[in-house]
Amino acid sequence: MVHRKRAVLLAFFFSIVLTTGCSPFVENNTIEEIAPVTFWYVSSGGEGKLKISTLVPPLVKEKKRLLTLQVELVKQGIKQFNLINYRELKAGQTRMLLISEELAKQGVISLINTLLTDPELSQRLYLAVVRGNFEDYIRNQLNAQPSLDYFLYAMLKHYEKHYQGEMTIVNLHQFMKKLYSRFSDPILPVFKANKSSFTYEGTAFFRNDKLAATIKTMDDQLFQLFDNDYYVKILAMPALSVTIGRVRSTVHMELDANYSSLSIKIDLSGRIEEYRGEKNILYPEEVANLTNEIKSYLEKNTKALFKKMQQEKVDPLQVGNLSLHPFAKPLKKEEWSRYWQQMKINVDYQLHLQPLINIKK
Amino acid sequence: MFWKKGKRGNNDRKDKPQNATQTAVTLDGLRQFLANMEDAEIIQRQTKTGQKITLVYIRTLIDQERLNESVMEPLTHCSHDTIHECIATSRLTNITTVAEAKKQLVQGSILLNDLSQNKWWAVHLENPLSRGIESSATETIIYGARDSFSEQIEKNITLIRRRLPITALKTEKFTIGSLSQTTVVLMYIEGLTNPDHISNARSKLSAIDFDQFLDSSEVAFFMEDHIHSIFPQFQETDRPDACAYSLGLGKLIFLVDNTPYALIAPITFFNLFQSPEDYFLRWIVASFFRCIRYLSFVLAVTLIPLYVALTTHHYQMIPLEIISVLLESRSKLPFTPFWEAFLMLMTLEVIKEASLRMPTKSGQTLGVIGGIVIGQATVAAGFASKVLIVLVGISAIASFLVPNYEVTKSSTLIQFFFLVLSAILGVFGIALGGIAVLAHLNGLTSLKQPYFAPVTPFYRKDWIDLFIRGPLLWMKTRPEYVSPLQKWRSNRRR
Repeated sequence: MVHRKRAVLLAFFFSIVLTTGCSPFVENNTIEEIAPVTFWYVSSGGEGKLKISTLVPPLVKEKKRLLTLQVELVKQGIKQFNLINYRELKAGQTRMLLISEELAKQGVISLINTLLTDPELSQRLYLAVVRGNFEDYIRNQLNAQPSLDYFLYAMLKHYEKHYQGEMTIVNLHQFMKKLYSRFSDPILPVFKANKSSFTYEGTAFFRNDKLAATIKTMDDQLFQLFDNDYYVKILAMPALSVTIGRVRSTVHMELDANYSSLSIKIDLSGRIEEYRGEKNILYPEEVANLTNEIKSYLEKNTKALFKKMQQEKVDPLQVGNLSLHPFAKPLKKEEWSRYWQQMKINVDYQLHLQPLINIKK
Repeated sequence: MFWKKGKRGNNDRKDKPQNATQTAVTLDGLRQFLANMEDAEIIQRQTKTGQKITLVYIRTLIDQERLNESVMEPLTHCSHDTIHECIATSRLTNITTVAEAKKQLVQGSILLNDLSQNKWWAVHLENPLSRGIESSATETIIYGARDSFSEQIEKNITLIRRRLPITALKTEKFTIGSLSQTTVVLMYIEGLTNPDHISNARSKLSAIDFDQFLDSSEVAFFMEDHIHSIFPQFQETDRPDACAYSLGLGKLIFLVDNTPYALIAPITFFNLFQSPEDYFLRWIVASFFRCIRYLSFVLAVTLIPLYVALTTHHYQMIPLEIISVLLESRSKLPFTPFWEAFLMLMTLEVIKEASLRMPTKSGQTLGVIGGIVIGQATVAAGFASKVLIVLVGISAIASFLVPNYEVTKSSTLIQFFFLVLSAILGVFGIALGGIAVLAHLNGLTSLKQPYFAPVTPFYRKDWIDLFIRGPLLWMKTRPEYVSPLQKWRSNRRR
């Protein structure tokens, strides 16, 4: 009886193992025999083809080279890379996928789906759109920065952690979640590359899986306050000769019953860190005037940002979620898109700014 | 059939000397037994009254000074007629049979022949050949008592009795080993220790049939419920405070003569991670260090197998910051991670074993050569990676954090078992190995009490002294797995 119980228990444990999908056939992943790729750069190769590039050997202090292949399928590219490199390229450590702007405009759904269904790939894979010639940048930097791939990853990781409020950082899981949600459109950071530099440009709005628009500078900073981090370390407004630092926002959006207008109330706190204008901000009246100017400026820019989103038919802030009510049938995506484009936007800022200087009374 | 006959024949032979020893003591009979024993002495002395007395003893077993003081002097100046009147010692016993005479002789007694009454007397004058009370060599602590057991069982009993001066503390004597005639003393507190454990221990001790016992661990091997397990089911300690504490919880102590290590039972796996010092430190501090001990055990067992699993199968699980270090250090090595780790661990075990067996000073030199020279040279020669050397070092130090030496040794075996599994199946193999070890621990018993208690079976109240050492004020009950007769440790129950 005891033996039978043991047999049943053993069978039970083994069936648990089998149901987890663990494959009994293991691959050779011995670390010194493989080259764990850290990033892929995918661009349009013309005639429906893809151009895939990566840096090999990754992560080791050996002379590196940029491998580029023109292929029909992503996996075909990965396979062909192995044939031209002495170490097998493995995708399990891929941390970044950089997509060229042209390809992003054509649509990235097939690329995203391929990555999503790959069990080797982590969902914490950073996605970014690159404007310009990234390959040129890599080739040019090969000698100057041997660990370029690692530094790129470290930069993205740094700004993702603790919501640094400097740039938009999106991973595969976040992109996928927004892509497959009814009332949201995905976003990605945009970097500009040329021979000597790789700079953050702003945020790209996607309509479904296609890049629709890109916002930069002030718009991008406002976007960080509305959605991404609700925090901006430095909000510079050159038009008003003022810089506000440590800006935190509390955003409250309200949709009216017939989806004709959207009221946005933003509580903004921060401190004036720099002022190079005409006003003497040692006097409270002048500070009040400056605050009013900042308020008008922000309201104007916010309205413009929302207008842009409406024109491009994108809803990255997921305003559509406000239309959801308990026990009510949700709107169809097309219906919401129609309402969204014609919606009146009311913006109201409440500023709580610290002048950080002794004010004369 | 022949085997049965043979067995019966053996028993017959066993009975013969037994009958022979029942015969009365005679000097000739004793001479016969003591033939070819250079250290056996038979001498004659005359008392003041002119009475001749024969003294028979084994020189190497008795205390010569006490012989002169307690026996020779009183006898030569004695004017009484009988020996028991001349020698004023409490340890004077009358013996009648040869068996008794032999037993007394080998235990360090002097046999005296009173010709006037035709009687034989034995005076116990055993040579107290023993080292002094020293501090424990295996369970060192900073705070707390410094004394530890020695090879003399009487002294060891005294050390415990001084800590528990109550009449309920009982000592039962057993003699085991047909050659060694080893004395084993079973200690327990009557009215507190569960009688089932006592009778179980008695029956196990009585059932022992072997020729010699030179250490308490050998006695434990004969009493263990699972002889093939790598985990000790009796806790060995040379600390009297640990023994007294265990007795107070309702456990049994087995003291074995000629060994400084006492056995404690029933125990659990978790008792082996507890140090007497845990109860002398502040409870939060003690809990922290106890947790570190558990963590160290897990580290010692899994760190190297994890290295092998990750570098052989799961490169995806390694953080990017570490993978570049690993790639660098492993890129030009001739061995696979498994063989690299296996060879380094074997080398470490060789060094550990050699430094234990060597004299102290040579052992230190060996440690330096093994640790620094070989470690450094292995990396320089390109046989092992720097990362592995660091991990082997951490793992080796972590394995020594467990207060029980036997668990330290067991952890090495588990480490090798996990190492093989990790090389074949990766982290999944380590998980399977972990399940196997846990299942084995769950099935073990110590004096028929569950070894993995209070985790399984679950005893909620005992968790206060498990992974953490709770405040002593809160430890109001004795451990449930011991099933003591008195549950409460305090007189006033709240």
